[in-house]
Amino acid sequence: MKSAMKRFLRRGIVIPVVLLVIIILLLKFTYDAVDDVETFYALTGWLLEATLQSATPLILAALGGMFSEKSGVVNIGLEGMMLIGAFAAVAATYFFYDPWIGLLAAVLAGGILAVVHAIICVKMKGNHIVSGTGIILFAAGFTTLMLEVIWNRKGISEQVTALPNVNMPFLQDIPIIGVAFDNLSPIVYFAFVLVIVSWYVMYRTPFGLRLRAAGEDPSTLDAAGVSVEKYRFIGVVISGLLAGLGGAYLSLGRGLPAFGKQMTAGRGFIALAALIFGNWTPFGVLAAGLFFGFLDTLQHFVGFVPAWQWIQGYSQFLQMIPFVLVVLALAGIRKSVPPKAIAVPYEKEVKA
Amino acid sequence: MIEDNLQDNRDQSDGGQTGLRANVERIRLNLVERAEEWPGPIKSIVLAFTKLLTWAFWKPLIWALFSVVLAAIISAIIMEISGYNSLEAFSALIFGALTRFDRVLFESTPLIFAGLSVAFVFKAGLFNIGAEGQLYMGSMAAAILGYIIPLPYGIHPLVCLATGALAGALWGFLPGLLKAYRGAHEVVTTMMLSYTAILFTQWLAAGPLKEPGEFQWNAQTTLILETAQLPILWGYYLHAGFLLAIVCVIGVAFVLNRTVLGFEMRAVGFNEAAAETAGIDSKKNVALALGIGGGLAGLAGASEILGTHHRFYNSWSPGLGFEGITVAVLGNNNPFGCLLAAIFFGFLKAGGNAMHQQAHVPIEMVGVMQGLVVLFVAAPRFIQWIADQSLDYGKWFSVDKIRPISFALNMIIALYGTYFSFILLGETQLGLMFIGISAAVSILSIAAFFMIFARNSRGFIVSLIASMCWFTLAAVGMGAGVDVSFMILVGLVQAVLSVLALLLVKGAGKSKGDGA
Repeated sequence: MKSAMKRFLRRGIVIPVVLLVIIILLLKFTYDAVDDVETFYALTGWLLEATLQSATPLILAALGGMFSEKSGVVNIGLEGMMLIGAFAAVAATYFFYDPWIGLLAAVLAGGILAVVHAIICVKMKGNHIVSGTGIILFAAGFTTLMLEVIWNRKGISEQVTALPNVNMPFLQDIPIIGVAFDNLSPIVYFAFVLVIVSWYVMYRTPFGLRLRAAGEDPSTLDAAGVSVEKYRFIGVVISGLLAGLGGAYLSLGRGLPAFGKQMTAGRGFIALAALIFGNWTPFGVLAAGLFFGFLDTLQHFVGFVPAWQWIQGYSQFLQMIPFVLVVLALAGIRKSVPPKAIAVPYEKEVKA
Repeated sequence: MIEDNLQDNRDQSDGGQTGLRANVERIRLNLVERAEEWPGPIKSIVLAFTKLLTWAFWKPLIWALFSVVLAAIISAIIMEISGYNSLEAFSALIFGALTRFDRVLFESTPLIFAGLSVAFVFKAGLFNIGAEGQLYMGSMAAAILGYIIPLPYGIHPLVCLATGALAGALWGFLPGLLKAYRGAHEVVTTMMLSYTAILFTQWLAAGPLKEPGEFQWNAQTTLILETAQLPILWGYYLHAGFLLAIVCVIGVAFVLNRTVLGFEMRAVGFNEAAAETAGIDSKKNVALALGIGGGLAGLAGASEILGTHHRFYNSWSPGLGFEGITVAVLGNNNPFGCLLAAIFFGFLKAGGNAMHQQAHVPIEMVGVMQGLVVLFVAAPRFIQWIADQSLDYGKWFSVDKIRPISFALNMIIALYGTYFSFILLGETQLGLMFIGISAAVSILSIAAFFMIFARNSRGFIVSLIASMCWFTLAAVGMGAGVDVSFMILVGLVQAVLSVLALLLVKGAGKSKGDGA
């Protein structure tokens, strides 16, 4: 436990420190710009809340991607799994008038798509990237098609019941925190819990050890008498479940509780970026997801401060940062340690 | 026993050449032998023709056809479940596309470029999934040059195309360099740079290059000059970009198969370490391959802008770069295969409009089909497995009658159960319980089908559970007051069949020591 803590501190210290410095600077500049304590509290509270909200789907999907990639299967289909999750959540809620059933349906829908990916990549030894592309195309087409079949509409579905938000009355009097943590979707808290659970499962259980072994050194795992295929299959399916949950958050957790055409808008890819930037670890994913969510929020945030509104003309550059950072990270600014046997189909040696 | 026999048969059919294939191979070898004596040009034509007779040529074609058919079947099921007439839809699609073939070629033009881009890079052992960004960069460059500098007819489009290709090439070269010298995985870098490019061009179109005008709210550039537009070849849409695409197909095929550069690239793609040992600079080739791939994608964007849209506007491309992957995959990364695959997808897109107008099926169905085709092509072993299993069934049927028939009947009822339960999924007013059980039945039935098809006798137990679910479903449905006699019938038939099959398999296990 102690060594793990140390390792975490040593490896994961860079991103939090950078984040902290940026946030402190930003807070200072904001305070200088608005020059009013009440407005400052409201603004920063909003910033924190919106960051949590933008980060949640990224964290969930990236966590899913982690399970898949740690087991050795690339999953660029996260985008498609999120999309079908978002759709299934709204469709099931629309038919059964209960958002919790919608949540369940979203998780299952993502899982079913992941089963397809797993069958192709693990059982049939197909190309992971091609299969992921197929998943994305299928999900994009299927959800838009069903949008028209069910609601007979083109752009956006009918509104359904949203998930009830969690209220935290005891926090309301605290400045900033009160605004930020009150009235959030339960999925946000759930995402944080899942990060810890994932860490525990990944690094403290035999299951996690085997899952990681399937991605790092499958032949050794096989020699130990454990089925590589089984663990890879499970890893991919978990990724689908989590991505589906992330999609459900997009449609039911925040904003208008409805499904919009292509509503993930590339978040699956940003989640992949968060996964890589977070170095394929749960807490790395959490930090990267929060950071990318923060960047996503920042472009709206600058609109609230009159002195900064000119930045909105350059919001595309803010949106670019996650992608550029990942390219830089991979180009060797920071050490990236992907699983060794990633994207390599495991072929059992044939008996003579 | 039976299994052993079948295994032997299969080994024989794989190892030795069977009838047709052996004959064709003999003819081919004969031709090759004779061609050696003939004069140069005839010899090369004949030798090229003999390639058409090899299994290596037909196999990917047949595989692709197989996946298209499988995708069509699943699309038909999806259409039926959504309440459309699939036969009408498919006929509308085919006739609609055939009667407007100019539209087919028009839709396929950018796909040819994008597919070539992905396929070319794939030959060097890399994956270019960022063709979309290269395409945006190329289109932006072409759009800028299209309206900024006046040039005479004929030269202007060429200059624009070249700049577009260059912009795309630079955008592909960057991840190439990162891959070659920093080891950054190209799948991730091309994808991330793709989004960077899309956002960057978005900013250009919304900011500094936005069309001037007081009431101009759309993020788009000024219309390109008339001199820069590509001429229309046929019908309303098909522009000269198609000819360029054909030239590119031939050019890429030539570069890959007939030049040192192409040979080195393929060598690097085949085995990088071996290529290095042989003295090939793999780094140079990796960077160059992605650069050329980017250039091809840039051409796709430039030709679309110059031929159709005549200006750059935000998100003009409906994921063309992404579809390039599907084209390359279906075309087996062969330039001519890409051409065929692009025309096939263009066919689907052009026919999709007619399908929408006549059968009222939304155009998105085409996207579903595209995704399904790619999913099937991604798993060649799936098709191989289906073919092997079907062959095995044929042979099994010739030695044994009762058990294969019981297997087949079980598969039919499982498949029908899947279909029926999918339709019941639409009856959402019957409540959560009902839908949940129908979903369970559909999953169980499809699992049973595949397990029985794989000749796993546990499939019958799954089938039996599915039949129990049918009875439960009937009970729930009776409570809701619907006609449930058909569900009971399906459940009864399934139960009886699976029990019979189980008994047969068990009997075989006792007498021969090996269940099917």
